Amino acid sequence: MAGLVEMTGIGKSFGRVAVLSDVSLRVDEGKVVALLGANGAGKSTLMKILSGNYTRDAGEIRIDGRPADFRAPADAIAGGIRLLPQELSIFPDLTVAENIMLGALPTKGSGPLRTVDKAALEARAAELLVRMGLDWLSPRTRMGTVSHHVQRIVEIARAMAGNARMLIMDEPTASLADAEVKMLFQCVRRLQAEGISVVYISHYLKEVFEISDEIVVLRDGRNAGRFETKKTDVDAVLEAIVGNRVGNLYPDFARSTGVASDVVTVEGLTVDGWLHGVDFTIRKGQITGMHGLIGSGVEMAGRALFGAVPKARAARTTVDGRPYAIRNAEAGVAAGLGLVAAERKQEGIISMLSLRENMSVCNLPLFTKGLVVQRKTETATADDWIRRFAIRARGAEQAIGSLSGGNQQKVCLARWLIGDLKALILEEPTRGVDVGARAEIYRQIRQMADNGLGILLISSDAEEVAGLADRSVVLDGGRVAATYEAPVSAAALMNAASKPAAAEAI
Amino acid sequence: MSEETAKTVGSQSEAPKPEAGRSLLGKSWAGTAMLLVIYLLLLVVFTILSPFFLTFKNLLSIGSNMAFVGLMAAAGTPLIIAGGLDLSVAAVAGISGVIVSLCYAAGIDIWLACAIAILAGGAIGGGNGMLTNGLRLNPFIVTLGSMSIITGLSLVLTGGLTQPLAIPGFNWIGSGRILSVPVPLILMLIFFAAIWWVMAFTPFGRYIYASGGNPDASRMLGIPVDRTQIKLYILSGVSGALAGIVVAAMLGAAAPDAVGKHLLTVIAAIILGGTSLFGGRGSVWGTLLAVLILGTLNNGLTLLNVSSFWQDVTKGAVLLLAVGLDQLRIRSQI
Repeated sequence: MAGLVEMTGIGKSFGRVAVLSDVSLRVDEGKVVALLGANGAGKSTLMKILSGNYTRDAGEIRIDGRPADFRAPADAIAGGIRLLPQELSIFPDLTVAENIMLGALPTKGSGPLRTVDKAALEARAAELLVRMGLDWLSPRTRMGTVSHHVQRIVEIARAMAGNARMLIMDEPTASLADAEVKMLFQCVRRLQAEGISVVYISHYLKEVFEISDEIVVLRDGRNAGRFETKKTDVDAVLEAIVGNRVGNLYPDFARSTGVASDVVTVEGLTVDGWLHGVDFTIRKGQITGMHGLIGSGVEMAGRALFGAVPKARAARTTVDGRPYAIRNAEAGVAAGLGLVAAERKQEGIISMLSLRENMSVCNLPLFTKGLVVQRKTETATADDWIRRFAIRARGAEQAIGSLSGGNQQKVCLARWLIGDLKALILEEPTRGVDVGARAEIYRQIRQMADNGLGILLISSDAEEVAGLADRSVVLDGGRVAATYEAPVSAAALMNAASKPAAAEAI
Repeated sequence: MSEETAKTVGSQSEAPKPEAGRSLLGKSWAGTAMLLVIYLLLLVVFTILSPFFLTFKNLLSIGSNMAFVGLMAAAGTPLIIAGGLDLSVAAVAGISGVIVSLCYAAGIDIWLACAIAILAGGAIGGGNGMLTNGLRLNPFIVTLGSMSIITGLSLVLTGGLTQPLAIPGFNWIGSGRILSVPVPLILMLIFFAAIWWVMAFTPFGRYIYASGGNPDASRMLGIPVDRTQIKLYILSGVSGALAGIVVAAMLGAAAPDAVGKHLLTVIAAIILGGTSLFGGRGSVWGTLLAVLILGTLNNGLTLLNVSSFWQDVTKGAVLLLAVGLDQLRIRSQI
């Protein structure tokens, strides 16, 4: 029997960087296939190809055994394949029924007098809600008043209204509580019984083992393993995800074996709904890693300390021995903290300004004599860092938006090194950066630590933390779950981050 | 189609970006150069069509008549670049004339009266800034509201009547000359030069572009985005007050509704000058050229006896044309 969807030999590169090479994926009717892999392993790219958001460079996609060529998301939807992204796309001010049926509104009358057939709309929506197991939800409810996990199921109902045969779910449980996850899974099982297939992307191994029939692992854009869920265990899957990477992607750990002094101490860092009293320190001259899954609070810890999260607070914080009060980013910078944000485009670069201006903008007092910014020293400094970080650019005046991601990231690092910095917080420093540039960035992070800076490396990539950090803190549920001194294996970090999985697998 | 989607979705990846700025249209100064060409074309066309156009006196009077618009547009430019907007500026000009006349009528020295009007303008601007930045309200709504309040107050304070202000020393601001150059024109040029200097050379100038270019990133870099904007709202209010004083001095009277109708010209000049309404991009020189273009158009068409009704039509058409061309230019850059 042919699979519902068969992808074979899929290849895709962006520029000269190969993101996928010779990747295969087969999904049978009524099966839930979990697609796993570290950040940058190629999961999203593969799914974007399947859902028509990207075109492939090589390989073949077959649906029901027939070749399929999706040139746009609409093609994939017509072919019965629906991508449900991590971010909900709902219309909070419309009713549940309207949200479900928007793509295919039933109408009555004809010509210019055609109107939405409200009765049919609500009847069709109610039918779908029953199918999803949401028979208690009135189709007339305003979508915005419904809780998050129910909205997610309504989104699935919308896909089913378009006669989807396969759903691609990207981290659907990232911000859901256990009971809510259960409800979502009941819905997935109902669909499965109807013969609907699901590709399930998640970092939560516990959930993956609960819901999937099969597990497919990608690593560095290649197939790294295919498991039948019932016949495997967490360790085997973790090993496939992490692999035994050879070569020297990561630099050596800190040379100083003695305990270095703490440059930043944090006690009781709290952000309502995210962090519940987290303690940690950043050591001078070392890299402190912080790892956790999406929703564990790891995405908030760095920016809360820096002052970029409203209503973040801590019992006691010090920077370089002096008390530091979390207030806003200005205060953070004044205290000697720097932060390189994960979302480079939104929070890192000012894309229409030049490389020079992006570099100097958080250090302008250093470049100002009297009232005037000294353009000459500014340019000299920018040129200097372009050379030291091997930034590929036409010059200091090039608009930063036209640089590649890796080069933009180098600018975002360099700008903090100009001033008198005590500690640098790095959020997902290699997200969207290819392997080549990655090694370069790792080397530079280590160099910065060697020069006496304290580094806090926040990453949802356990391998990165294991490879780079002299000490690692793992967060789970807004609390510190474990602390390790290097060397520690990526698998141990991942295990600590999703503790329940390990407990249940044993 | 699919390639376009891939490009936007794949922006996080390492896809090589096309080299920007290769075509002539793509150069960063091309926008200003284009305005200069339009301005020169207008000069040539009107010189051919009207014998009265190209005289020293007429050209200076264009500058003088546009000075109050120029003052407001000069201050509005950095505000819009920083991501703000002030629709109340022309209403502030109206009430500032009223304040001067009422203070003078109450026996206060005319220059002290001007200072009070400028302080009031700054205070109104500060209020706009506090509301938009403190409460995170949309600047369009905030300044639309304050515009209505201020316009109404001007009418309440004067009963809608024009207040005479015939004081030779004061009127000199509006109609005096230094070396045969009109004082309002000089004032406007000084104002433009000062704002240009601040924007081009000071840290504050950098913060203006950074705040509007990417407010989230700027905040993450510890840049005082809110304070930058509030200061610019204050500057905008002060520019409104100055414009009101210039108009009152020119007319020899404070008419509460004399300036309000010119708000659209102010905004049009800023946009025509190449400033992005979304912030982050623009220059005061573009705005100055745009002010001159709009003034020249007005003057030339008047000399040709074209009805003022048609002049509004032309002004709108020029604005759309220039903004359209500018958009094409930006697209060729990306």
